[in-house]
Amino acid sequence: MSHSTTDVHIAAIEYELPSTSWTLEELAVQGRIRSPVEALRTFGFERAWVADDTGERLATAAVERLLENAAVDPGTIDVVLYAGATAASHATRSGGLGAFTYPAAKLQYDFGFVNARPIGISQSGCLGLMTAISLGRALLTADASIARVLCVSVDVLPAGSTREILYNVISDGACALLLERGHGPNRIVAERQITKGYYWDCEALGNEIVAAYFPTARTIIGDTLAAAGLTQDDVAVIVPHNVSRRSWDILLQLTGLDAERLYADNIALKAHVISGDNFINLADAERAGRLRRGDRLLLFNFGFGASWACMLVEH
Amino acid sequence: MPNTRPDDITLVTGGSGSIGVPLLESLGRDGRTAVALVRGGLPVNVAGVQLVEGDIQSAGLGLDAGWRDELLTRVTAIVHGAALTRFDAPLDTARAVNVEGTRRVLEFAERCTRLERVTVLSTIYVAGKRTGIIRETELDHDCGFVNAYEQSKYEAEQLARAAMARLPVMVVRLSTVVGAHGSGAVGKPAAIHHAMRFLYNSLLPMMPGTDDSLVDLISTGYAVAAIRHLSERGFTRGATFHVCAAGEAPREAELIDLVVEAFMRYRPAWRRRAIEKPSIVELPTFELFRESVEAVADPVLRASVAVLAPFAPQLAFPKIFDDTQCRAILDGAGIHRDAIRDTLKDVVRFLIETNWTPPCRS
Repeated sequence: MSHSTTDVHIAAIEYELPSTSWTLEELAVQGRIRSPVEALRTFGFERAWVADDTGERLATAAVERLLENAAVDPGTIDVVLYAGATAASHATRSGGLGAFTYPAAKLQYDFGFVNARPIGISQSGCLGLMTAISLGRALLTADASIARVLCVSVDVLPAGSTREILYNVISDGACALLLERGHGPNRIVAERQITKGYYWDCEALGNEIVAAYFPTARTIIGDTLAAAGLTQDDVAVIVPHNVSRRSWDILLQLTGLDAERLYADNIALKAHVISGDNFINLADAERAGRLRRGDRLLLFNFGFGASWACMLVEH
Repeated sequence: MPNTRPDDITLVTGGSGSIGVPLLESLGRDGRTAVALVRGGLPVNVAGVQLVEGDIQSAGLGLDAGWRDELLTRVTAIVHGAALTRFDAPLDTARAVNVEGTRRVLEFAERCTRLERVTVLSTIYVAGKRTGIIRETELDHDCGFVNAYEQSKYEAEQLARAAMARLPVMVVRLSTVVGAHGSGAVGKPAAIHHAMRFLYNSLLPMMPGTDDSLVDLISTGYAVAAIRHLSERGFTRGATFHVCAAGEAPREAELIDLVVEAFMRYRPAWRRRAIEKPSIVELPTFELFRESVEAVADPVLRASVAVLAPFAPQLAFPKIFDDTQCRAILDGAGIHRDAIRDTLKDVVRFLIETNWTPPCRS
């Protein structure tokens, strides 16, 4: 597979989870899950990370660490793509002018991204960060004046809300990653996204979404592999979103992907961190020594809306 | 030979089913003296057919003495179609109707003084989990069954075969009757129609099966014409016939394509939903999904899986039903299969227009 100086790479990834996690039993006692504990455990979950404040601290910590570890000068960031699944993720306050207090602009100011255009990405559900990467990649490819794109996702569910959504256990968290043209450890080889607006009302169409999830996932994974000229056998590691392990077992059988290649450690440890999952897992898999240079990685995700996305990355 | 004397009676059991009603209508139209053994009446009035209260699970078919004596002396032909066709029935329940009911009918037949023909309606799925070519002459196997319906009909056929030495018995195995060619009318939506409804409503993510799985379907008209001819002029004592689509059956993927195309044709707005076609998956994958849904999902999703679970696994055992013997007889009578792909479109149109709730007939 040939490389090009115009290829876009994920050069660095950092994330931050809340300081507190709750076991399934604790979530059950607090009435924060609907399904029986044993059922969720069978699905691969053990705990959820629950923030006791807003997402701002999580986002700040993730970005701070990324800038420090990757030795990035804030003035070299050209675009900040700020993703959040819920409306609350896009306003620091509510009511009146408070509704216009955007966290992306605050992040730009706090970190001194003086040359960056902050852009919010909403309405992609759990695909927020993947959508940000897709747009960042398109900007880097189309505009030579853009060299660095910072993508940030932050999601904190409202205090007291359920931690189970459609049979998945949900954690709060933030993830930051840096996109660069031409160099970096994770070259984006191909990506695809499908949105099916029929499922926009996720409250009313939960069953239909569960049913649509699998065949559409199979289609987009197959299409993305085909677009890259790859087959299932070429995928060294599957970097999942942390929905239930059971759903992954089904999807792997459906797609013909090798179950042995699924990096599933974080489903139990971290649960579903909304839009950060794939990239939190990518960072952890790398730190755990699960990735080798040249490995083709398959990242798949789904978001209410409803959208499905698949990305192939060469490590 | 068909009954020709005015006092000859054709006794039909199972007159209220999706085949029973059109079969009785056909007999009534032809002026046959037909008596339908029913339990609690028929859903429609059929001209020319006498309804008699009875029950195949009871001794003497539950007939009162007057009818019992009259039928024992006047019945020349029996078409035994009564069956419990629910795919999710427990084995004991299915056996009580399908096996013991058949035993009672055969016992009654032995007492009929002028009996010439007993036609036992069965299903091609007595083949259970066998794969490959299924011939009309074959019955015995140890491959197992997908559901209790299949097993109980298999056991009923064993009874019928055992009776062939002492009675003029013939077995007609029917394929899945999908609806009427042309009108698309469906008497009572069955599992396959509910599966279409779930697909229409985006509640059908996957179907078990293989690339080689054929879905054998026939039209109501072909089924009735075949039964009529085989049980009358084409009657062959000791024979078994497959009334099925055989090699003309669509493959599973093609069937899904046909249904989806019909949805878009007859309800163009459906296209906007962009509903993905269900994936055809190996049986373990389907079972894993079913178990997951049963563990936590809400009643709507559970209902969709519950409809599929008792019958769809049959598709994971690909087979082709041979109907050479049946065709040899029906071809000679000018009875041909309807083009099943067209029938299927007609049925989809009917189901959409009636919202899967066929109007009551009177």
